[in-house]
Amino acid sequence: MEKKEVFRKIEFILVFSITALSGAIFFAAQDSKAAEEGATLLMATTTSTDNTGLLEYLMPAFTEKTGIDIKWISTGTGKALKLGENCDVDVLLVHAPQAEIDFVDKGFGIDRREIMYNDFVLIGPPEDPAHIKGKKVSEALQAIGSSSNVFVSRGDESGTHKMERTLWKLADMQIPEQETWYRQSGQGMLPTINVAGELQGYTLTDHGTYIKYESAAEGKPSLVILVEGDAVLLNQYSVIPVNPKHCSNVKHEKAQTLSNWMSGEEAQRLIGEFKLLGKQLFTPNAAR
Amino acid sequence: MDFIQDGFIQAFALLLNRDPATYSAISATLRASGLAMAASLLLGIPLGYLLGYFDFRLKKQIRIIVDTLLSLPTVFIGLVIYALLTRNGPLGEAGLLFTIPGIAIGQVILSLPIIIALTATAVEAADNKLHITLMSLGANRRQIAASTLWEVRLGILAAAVTATGRVLTEVGISLMIGGNIKWHTRTITTAIALETSKGEFGMGIALGLVLLLIALTVNISLAGLRRRI
Amino acid sequence: MYHIQDVDHYYGEKHVLAIDDISIPEASIVGLIGPNGSGKSTLLKLLGFLEEPTYGSIFFKGQKAAPFSSEVRFKVTLLTQEPYLMRRTVFENIAYGLKIRGDTKDLNKRVEEALALVGLAPENFARRRWSALSGGEAQRVALAARLVLKPEVLLLDEPTASVDADSARLIRDASLKAREEWGTTLVVATHDWQWLFETCDSVRHLLHGRLFRGGLGCAVQGPWKFSREGFLQKELKDGQCLIAPTPEEGKQVAILDPARLRLALPGKVPLLKWNINSLKGYVSRLFLEKNGEIVQTAIKVAELLVAIRLERKQVELLKLFPGREVIILYDSHKIEWL
Repeated sequence: MEKKEVFRKIEFILVFSITALSGAIFFAAQDSKAAEEGATLLMATTTSTDNTGLLEYLMPAFTEKTGIDIKWISTGTGKALKLGENCDVDVLLVHAPQAEIDFVDKGFGIDRREIMYNDFVLIGPPEDPAHIKGKKVSEALQAIGSSSNVFVSRGDESGTHKMERTLWKLADMQIPEQETWYRQSGQGMLPTINVAGELQGYTLTDHGTYIKYESAAEGKPSLVILVEGDAVLLNQYSVIPVNPKHCSNVKHEKAQTLSNWMSGEEAQRLIGEFKLLGKQLFTPNAAR
Repeated sequence: MDFIQDGFIQAFALLLNRDPATYSAISATLRASGLAMAASLLLGIPLGYLLGYFDFRLKKQIRIIVDTLLSLPTVFIGLVIYALLTRNGPLGEAGLLFTIPGIAIGQVILSLPIIIALTATAVEAADNKLHITLMSLGANRRQIAASTLWEVRLGILAAAVTATGRVLTEVGISLMIGGNIKWHTRTITTAIALETSKGEFGMGIALGLVLLLIALTVNISLAGLRRRI
Repeated sequence: MYHIQDVDHYYGEKHVLAIDDISIPEASIVGLIGPNGSGKSTLLKLLGFLEEPTYGSIFFKGQKAAPFSSEVRFKVTLLTQEPYLMRRTVFENIAYGLKIRGDTKDLNKRVEEALALVGLAPENFARRRWSALSGGEAQRVALAARLVLKPEVLLLDEPTASVDADSARLIRDASLKAREEWGTTLVVATHDWQWLFETCDSVRHLLHGRLFRGGLGCAVQGPWKFSREGFLQKELKDGQCLIAPTPEEGKQVAILDPARLRLALPGKVPLLKWNINSLKGYVSRLFLEKNGEIVQTAIKVAELLVAIRLERKQVELLKLFPGREVIILYDSHKIEWL
């Protein structure tokens, strides 16, 4: 009789701990093993790139063609560059030309290659209180500044944020850090647009995110495109392998393969064919 | 408000249709949390016992430190562990960054203070007649430790439940160390963060409900355990 | 069995025990009496080797011993005042001590025997959980858990205090049986007169952590007033005064050593010498000691209770009965202070 109780107690403890432990270790080990095989290329890119769905569409073709497995981490531009600098990834796909050039100059990356571009647009309320519609970017920004209309910034060192800062400079204006009408959200593009929508203000966004916002709003978006097509609004994407001299562990050959493939004919065609909600988003522009 | 309704409907759809991305996220969550909980229980219970049972010079100070660690923000832990696991960091060669075991390491830092503090409290709160009884019946130090821990098992179970809840639902560590890589280190919580930042609030709610379901399942089994012991 | 030498025990700064020298013979039954806070429980803990004395040593069967040492670990056991059981069944509580020693031969039988010893039917009680017992039943199970180990020493801390009368009786019977069958030494801290007078071979009195001689003396505390040159007096609640010589600095408790007291009947007081004083009181209780020859006579004098040991003949001669008025004669000079 008491043997049964003893057995029950032992059985319970054993079963519980063995199941929990071994299950967890086993499954975790599986995952580690895959990474250890080392066939996987690790890329850092930006959330705005990933959120368009382009990578989910494009990368399988790369794997099929080259047999190289690729994983990517999407985060802010600042962090992506940091990951490259820290040798935690093998290759970058970002859209912040000035920062990229810096990155290469410092020796963190090599062979920067322009791959494609999409564009930025200035959006704002349909009533357009600052009257920026159709203007050139510089004039538009000056109009917003002088009329003190709300402008929402990413404020997070992202590619979009860096672009925005460049545009203020081009318009001969100081970055309106201290102005009350200048709001910094510190968040991703869609939340930033939502903030602008709530405040009925203006903001700078990449075209792709606007397309998604517009579609989600089911034909009645709070904000519409007011300024587009200006040459300075081009958003250039480039591929940069991390410099093997800076990081001995990076899979440089595979990174190089990716760079070559993305500027090659097949990839460039696929990029051009990619549609977001029925509209083309990217224009391939890799040098032949 | 519609997105909450949408969320409920989507949650059912995801689970019943066995949406592969969702199930991959569930698997990642369970693997990371399971590993973290196993490690923190194995380490934390004995440490908690030592802290609760013995009287030593720095006892009060160590207790304060442990209690303070209960307030570590997950992003902070994520940053610190990232610094350890990054390529040029002390554990860089281990290649744990952007892996499930890497996330688990961070989550252990989150869960360990909870286990230690609550186990120590349970041991201290144990009736001092227990100690007298155990010694009187002839137990040596090791037997006293084992029997005491068994006596306060309900307190330890409470510690485990609390820590599990914390670990299942954290985002900061999984994001920083896991990288939110689809199919690999995207957990339910990082997926929620992603969907929300994309504006897909309905999906965010759906995934949140899936996580609640997992937590419910875990707690039902733990409740069954509580009754049996 | 025990020899305690120069033991001083402190809890932090507080000096809780100061014992010069006592011995406890094997297979004896020793009673410990004293007010709350006098250190009885602490002394029992030290005798049980649950703690080590801050200063001094305790010798067990001639060997110096400490907690967890093999000389004492399986031989000395203590029963706490409040009943306490582990969160498991009655059976498992009793079997625990045997299991950790690896001594599990005939486990069932031995547990059942222990239960029978404390008056609990195994069929009813073995499976019960710790929470399904009354206070008295729980304490009996706790005792059974210790008796099943056939300990050489059984220390009991107020065994009758927190239980019903039946359980108290069964506990006493079981403990005595243990001594009968296995020669277990019993040390009992108690206020229970039945234990102290009918059962114990000797009784030690603890006050403020110190033992004092003379067994059940009567301790008289302050406040003391000046009486006459070199003497103090204490006014009792009924107006009578106890006179004692002025003590040294710091001593506050006077001891009426019963061995030095004489009894007389009212109206038949013999001529008193100048230093003999008297106090009026009445007989409160008469207890026949185990040896059958001595009667413990408790006399109530105002708020004091004085216990004098008289021979049976004397009791017969004085025709003492509970309620009878008596006079106590004492020599003021012979009063000692603590």
